[in-house]
Amino acid sequence: MTAVACHNLEFGRTMLDFLACGCTSNASFDRFPVRSYAKGAVRNVNRGYKPRKLVCFQPEIGPQTKTPEALLTDTPQVLDLKKELRSPASLTNLFEVVAEDLQTLNKNLQSIVGAENPVLMSAAEQIFGAGGKRMRPALVFLVSRATAEIVGLKELTKEHRRLAEIIEMIHTASLIHDDVLDESDMRRGKETLHQLYGTRVAVLAGDFMFAQSSWYLANLENLEVIKLISQVIKDFASGEIKQASSLFDCDVQLEEYLIKSYYKTASLISASTKGASIFSGVNSYISEQMYQYGKNFGLSFQIVDDILDFTQSAEQLGKPAGSDLANGNLTAPVIFALKKEARLRDIIESEFCDTGSLEEAIEIVKRCGGIHRAQDLAREKANLAVQNLQCLPLNSFRIALEELVKYNLERIK
Amino acid sequence: MSAAEQIFGAGGKRTRPALVFLVSRATAEIIGFRELTKEHRRLAEIIEMIHTASLIHDDVLDESDMRRGKETVHQLYGTRVAVLAGDFMFAQSSWYLANLENLEVIKLISQVIKDFASGEIKQASSLFDCDVQLDEYLLKSYYKTASLIAASTKGAAIFSGVDSEISEQMYQYGKNFGLSFQVVDDILDFTQSAEDLGKPSASDLAKGNLTAPVIFALEKETKLRDIIESEFCESGSLEKAVDIIESCGGIDKARELAKSKAELALENLQCLPLSSFRFSLEEMVKNNLERIR
Repeated sequence: MTAVACHNLEFGRTMLDFLACGCTSNASFDRFPVRSYAKGAVRNVNRGYKPRKLVCFQPEIGPQTKTPEALLTDTPQVLDLKKELRSPASLTNLFEVVAEDLQTLNKNLQSIVGAENPVLMSAAEQIFGAGGKRMRPALVFLVSRATAEIVGLKELTKEHRRLAEIIEMIHTASLIHDDVLDESDMRRGKETLHQLYGTRVAVLAGDFMFAQSSWYLANLENLEVIKLISQVIKDFASGEIKQASSLFDCDVQLEEYLIKSYYKTASLISASTKGASIFSGVNSYISEQMYQYGKNFGLSFQIVDDILDFTQSAEQLGKPAGSDLANGNLTAPVIFALKKEARLRDIIESEFCDTGSLEEAIEIVKRCGGIHRAQDLAREKANLAVQNLQCLPLNSFRIALEELVKYNLERIK
Repeated sequence: MSAAEQIFGAGGKRTRPALVFLVSRATAEIIGFRELTKEHRRLAEIIEMIHTASLIHDDVLDESDMRRGKETVHQLYGTRVAVLAGDFMFAQSSWYLANLENLEVIKLISQVIKDFASGEIKQASSLFDCDVQLDEYLLKSYYKTASLIAASTKGAAIFSGVDSEISEQMYQYGKNFGLSFQVVDDILDFTQSAEDLGKPSASDLAKGNLTAPVIFALEKETKLRDIIESEFCESGSLEKAVDIIESCGGIDKARELAKSKAELALENLQCLPLSSFRFSLEEMVKNNLERIR
């Protein structure tokens, strides 16, 4: 069956792509012909065959000799590749100090999600394998290890590890649902889950992951962390609603944007960093500083993402450029630009019905300094984040946490 | 908000909160409580939110157009709003749950949410699968229905502060009643008209969701297997299947199953003092069976 073959092909490339590209950019020229070929057939799958029934598409990787697990956890090979292909500062290098922790995490995530059902497994692999940077778990591990030193903890606890898994599951679940909500076709250069498998599987996979993470969370038996993370899940939903109800609303203020960004991005990150320090058993002042670090870094991260949506090409982004704006999601650069250029308001409020209006809007945003002011904002949050790290002893983990903040800013240099 | 009203206002019976309140009061009497605690009340709210959220997502998953005689949320407002509304309600209930600060109840309810997802997956991956066994069906029914009810009744008992023996009996009551309830629902899908159901009749079967009556019938009539495996591609085949199920006693055997679970549920109530609340709990079990008399 053509459809099945395409899926197999797609999965084959998934494994290879993960190895070759690893953590960051997903621009791979090889993938285009495969994807456009696959796209046609996959579209047919979705149209002609209403997914009433979840058929098991086992990811057969054909002539390859390695099992999926081995491919994904084959980190030393990946690191070598990286050192050849990439400039000094890279996420993998930054995360090297917690590389083993991340490896274990990947293994555990696969078995948690895959154990339930092979279809879910392939669905989860689609997104787990789609170039995810594992930044959030890395943060958990870095903060865990950085704070562990303060209290003399030698090894990470199983609570630390479980927290990282929970965080990544929540993050992944939210991405899956986000794409359904945004009706996005592409993420990280690949088709989104719901584009490939239909809305049903996407909703189901997202629900399953939220449910699993809630259950693991409850079984951590730490009320403070349970409340912390439950707040995040609530914030996610609130953030989505805030965003959905203020599309194309040119009266949006920076304050609202920051709250929305907190709900959608920084909330999870700050709960991760705070949770990690709670499990290290450090005092509440340090936990609070770790919370603030997560919050400020998270906001900085989101602002940078929002800038890149304007400045990067579709290829680099892995999805169409200016898509936030096109969807009516007005981010920092736009909000700053709106204060300068009244014409922009008209274009946005027209919801880009005229051809070329989106491009015009992007031009205006760039021309009147919207991007620059957003860059300043990102830097300001980044500085706050670095300050929050002052309470930590100087060690390789603290340095990695600082470098992460700086690395994020490099993306918009 | 309007999306939630669509379903909150759509003739829901509030069975689950009612169970929480009944068990709360029935067990409170043992300890000598006069009034319900705020935990009791919050638990009931949480349960109803979870139930509602699951219905909203269920309808997206089943691509259903109708529920309780009205258009489903996603039919009216689109899939996006349905997913969002469902997510929001799950999130809210998780947050309220966490703030109850009772680890036992938190774990109990988290297990339910996990079971919901597992149940959906089980169902989705075994559509039109004629090899399905009764115990798989019961497990799936537990995940999808009885789990929440059992957690509600046990949670209510926990907040009343009764001993674990009684909490466990309340759990079993919830489980057995829940299973009986689901089996009755599954029977009604065959026996009621579309009007009474508020949605098309035999829709479970049409979608390939094989429930108790079908499973029993499949043991008797092999012809049924062929029709089901054809996924009702021929017109009239669905009606034919429904006829077979009725004529070879599938409905009757399912009725027996519902009754046996109901009897177990009644036994579980023995540990409670005789009160109007215990009486109501018994009546709920019996009323449920009346639906399939």
